[in-house]
Amino acid sequence: MFGLFGSTTIPALEQSIQFSQRRHQLLASNVANLDTPGYRTRDLDTDEFQAALADSIRYPEGRPDASHAVSPSVRDDRFAGPRDATEQVVYHDDSDVSLEHQVTQIAKNQSLHSMAITTMRSQFALLQAAITERA
Amino acid sequence: MISALDISTSALVAQRTRLNAISGNIANISSLKDENGDAKPYRAREVLFQTDERSDEPHGPAGVKVSEIRADDSQPKYRYQPEHPLAIREGKWKGYVAYPNIDLTTQMVDALETTRAYEANIGVMEISKNIGRETLTILA
Repeated sequence: MFGLFGSTTIPALEQSIQFSQRRHQLLASNVANLDTPGYRTRDLDTDEFQAALADSIRYPEGRPDASHAVSPSVRDDRFAGPRDATEQVVYHDDSDVSLEHQVTQIAKNQSLHSMAITTMRSQFALLQAAITERA
Repeated sequence: MISALDISTSALVAQRTRLNAISGNIANISSLKDENGDAKPYRAREVLFQTDERSDEPHGPAGVKVSEIRADDSQPKYRYQPEHPLAIREGKWKGYVAYPNIDLTTQMVDALETTRAYEANIGVMEISKNIGRETLTILA
């Protein structure tokens, strides 16, 4: 289906990289609008992305039964409660950008990006080794 | 990644405009005449920000821009200085001089906030550059 890369994780890693780059743009715009009155934070749902990615890896031909769609809300997240409590805080200028929260998300997102890139590079190195018959 | 850099740059421009306005406010804290030489005390400038939607999609990445620079409409501060050449000659405030109504503490706190926001955006730009550089290493 994917030709040369079909047996590797490169297509999945590519999606992860695309996702983290897109999310980084949104997080950058949240920090840019730190002092904009009335601004509300924008973000992409990582859990939903991971669930969709896992789904498409597991069922490359499409889900046999669509009613079993993975719901991101059933994932075990111990810190969901305290996080929801802080996410609804609106400051006196009607914006809700928490710099600490945004910076944490940017750092996490960068780690995801790094991980995907590093793994992808080693996959390419393995393919290279196989093609050239040299380790 | 270019888009993320553009977004952070828009914030740098906006915050710099705001810092310029704050510098002007502090510099003019005792300016008793306006730019035409009339005896009107300086009025503090306040920079207002607005989200700058640059993509067509609804909730996509957005930059920030200066929506307006507003002059403070509050009453000037009156000080009793009858000997002053600009003292008011008649009326309720006879013998008083009108000084700009600028609160130095507020201006300094705003300047600090602006500086920190500028730094935060510089930090995000560093990360954007790192992400771009990492992506290029796939080719290597």
